[in-house]
Amino acid sequence: MAYQPKPPEGWVKTNLKYTKERGSVAWILHRITGLGLTAYIYVHIYALTSLTQGPKAFDDEMKLFQTPVFHVLEWLLFSLVVYHALNGMRIVIVDWANGARYHKKLLAVVYGLGVVLFIGMGILMFREPIANMFASLR
Amino acid sequence: MYNHTGSRGSGAPGWILQRITGVLLFVVVLTHFFVMHANPASGHTYAAVLARMHDPFWKMFDLTFITVGLWHGLNGTWGVFRDYKMKPAVSLTIYGVIILSGIAFWVLGVNTILSF
Repeated sequence: MAYQPKPPEGWVKTNLKYTKERGSVAWILHRITGLGLTAYIYVHIYALTSLTQGPKAFDDEMKLFQTPVFHVLEWLLFSLVVYHALNGMRIVIVDWANGARYHKKLLAVVYGLGVVLFIGMGILMFREPIANMFASLR
Repeated sequence: MYNHTGSRGSGAPGWILQRITGVLLFVVVLTHFFVMHANPASGHTYAAVLARMHDPFWKMFDLTFITVGLWHGLNGTWGVFRDYKMKPAVSLTIYGVIILSGIAFWVLGVNTILSF
């Protein structure tokens, strides 16, 4: 029987210990967003199978997805996409471009650029409601 | 059994493929999001999908996305599980669910695209 050291605390407590460094937070967020996106690709593939059932089935389904609630969810989905994409690039730089020496600066770029892209995407997605809002103020 | 669940071996082939597919997905997912999700008003009717699916570029694009995206996501998911100590039976079950559901949803997605 192999030696199995017992963790001094519970599973949750042991895992939470990793959160003391910014890099560890980035690592945990990368996992959570990755698992979320994987779950989403399953939903996405399943939802679009209605395309095989003809125009009516698909267009009826799209009526639901083209509602404000789903547009907001779509926007929130983009936060997962943009974080995982940018942090993924950071990981590539850390491994292959000596990025370990400046990975915390890269992390600041990831968060900064991420927020800018997220807000930019929001403006792009909701440009019509935003325009209408400003039009009603005039 | 350990060989099949990846508990032995360096994991290097999976790592480099995860890296390559990741860089590919950086381009593919962001393009997909800007084309398909950035503009809620366009391209979400059956007719619009039909027109897009008659363009070999978008057909190949979506087939690539489904294949590479599923593989990257599931290899990553397996990577998360692999970080925890599991009994062989649990490990094999999770691995089996990942492989089988991955193949099933790949067939589902490819079938949708190729139905056009």
